[in-house]
Amino acid sequence: MNPTLIIGLGNPLRGDDGIGARVAQALAEQNLPPNVDVLDGGTQGLGIVNMLEGRQRVIFVDAADVGVAPGQFKRFTLDEARLLGNDRHLSLHNASLRDALLLAQALDMLPPEVIIFGVQPDTLEWDSTLSPPVEAALPRLLAEVKLLAISGQSLVESW
Amino acid sequence: MSKVDVNVNVHHLTRVEGHGNIVVDVKNGELVKCELQIVEAPRFFEAMLRGRPYTEASHITSRICGICATGHATASLRATETALGVKVSTQTQLLRKLLFHGEIIDSHVLHVYMLVAPDFLGVGSVLPLAKSHPEVVKRALRIKKLSGDLCAMISGRHTHPIAMTVGGFTHLPTVKELLAMRKRLVAAREDMNETMALLKTLPWPRFQRETEYVSLKKDDEYAFIDGVVATTDGFTYALPDYRQVTNEYLVPHSTAKHCKHNRDSYMVGALARFNNNYEQLHPRAKAAANELGMKPVVTNSFLNSGAQAVEMLHCLEDSIQLIDQLIDRGLQEEPLYQFQGKGGEGVGSCDVPRGTLFHDYIIDDDGLIQGANCIIPTGQNYANMEADMRALVPQILDRPQEEITHLMEMLIRAYDPCISCSTHFLDVEFL
Repeated sequence: MNPTLIIGLGNPLRGDDGIGARVAQALAEQNLPPNVDVLDGGTQGLGIVNMLEGRQRVIFVDAADVGVAPGQFKRFTLDEARLLGNDRHLSLHNASLRDALLLAQALDMLPPEVIIFGVQPDTLEWDSTLSPPVEAALPRLLAEVKLLAISGQSLVESW
Repeated sequence: MSKVDVNVNVHHLTRVEGHGNIVVDVKNGELVKCELQIVEAPRFFEAMLRGRPYTEASHITSRICGICATGHATASLRATETALGVKVSTQTQLLRKLLFHGEIIDSHVLHVYMLVAPDFLGVGSVLPLAKSHPEVVKRALRIKKLSGDLCAMISGRHTHPIAMTVGGFTHLPTVKELLAMRKRLVAAREDMNETMALLKTLPWPRFQRETEYVSLKKDDEYAFIDGVVATTDGFTYALPDYRQVTNEYLVPHSTAKHCKHNRDSYMVGALARFNNNYEQLHPRAKAAANELGMKPVVTNSFLNSGAQAVEMLHCLEDSIQLIDQLIDRGLQEEPLYQFQGKGGEGVGSCDVPRGTLFHDYIIDDDGLIQGANCIIPTGQNYANMEADMRALVPQILDRPQEEITHLMEMLIRAYDPCISCSTHFLDVEFL
């Protein structure tokens, strides 16, 4: 199993929520180092926990309210941010990345490194395209995610 | 770096327009108002598909829901195949059933363990459960991994069934993969037994309310794909007549339409399937139902979760049998369907984890979709959820408000609602 995994999250039918899926799709078509995997995590919710097993570093890309202008994004670790939400859910469709990570943490299943790219959305209406600002951010986002995955890779190989 | 508050709860963002609110108003001991207020996403389905080639429909609709991706894709393919007069081979039917079983187990195991069990075990959510009963949560994840791998083996990808296409599959599992999966399924019987042992200990709330139960039905198997629409009130309809069952109508407090048939409401989902199709359950699943004291017709909606566990056992056993059939027949590459230049209209239906799902397409002679309708299970259950609430509230009025709230949440949760993928939280409001 490859040590590094990139997981793009979100629903491509919900406007900018599809950014994670777009990143996963784009990276899957690029030349990544052989020991970096990419997954389109869709809207799996708690199912994400099972994707973390055996990984050293997991990089998430997801639409998120990170308090910046649409199309801008922030990169952070779980030590640098508190994920907001509530634990009492009516249905499985409520389960989020936050829930999955908290559950993994409770079970001691968190990989050593978890990094999240949170991309500020403009619209989350039913629409299968990204808004112009988020579409415009895609090349830089891809480059940053790739750089992190690759540079991390080199570190793991302790050069 | 300074600590920032970041909300990466995608659902909080994407589901902003959707709420599932329970509103209960009791004045002087009289129930004045009891509503499940649903604000649903706008009707988007037809707009999403109109003008698109028929080949894209199953891939687009599978993204509506991350939990029922296979269910939407299968209903979509059946609608398209019916519209275009495409016959599917026995091999394709077997593979689709096997894949579908994977999704049923995948969805049910999370609901039963991560949402229902914490309620019963006196912990607020799955997070404290993971601390107090880690072996329980790990078992759930183990079963989830197995069902996810089963889906990936057939559909080519964990999250979305990309190998499934009109008329067949673009990718087939190997005999080696099937045998390895069979071994894991047999080994998982122990986890299923543990699941039933756990469920037997849960204090299911006492509640009874007769209603009409609606599901797909077939004579020779526990129906998940195709069949007729059957009800416990004795009605059956061919799939093209599904609107005679659903009878959608508007209610003032909800932008989601409600459905009714022979009574004021009806129920779809695992309990409805159990009540209609008990005879077609695998003997082990029947035995498990017996241990839970479940014999049709079960009228306690809380036991929808019990029916889900029974279905997990059924799907596990039937998956083993399906794999045996596939191996005995030998897997063969089959030619994929080629469009014949003639469109049509077709209805496809599956009983997905939350109940009966309908897709209805009109495809033109260029192979483009000109009309589409979709009715999701939870939409059919809204009226029944409210009827249950109205029946339950007077029985529990003497209890503390917190307990009433909790029981109402548990009741709605038992339906495993999806609220059209548009909601992220539940507010209980006592006026």
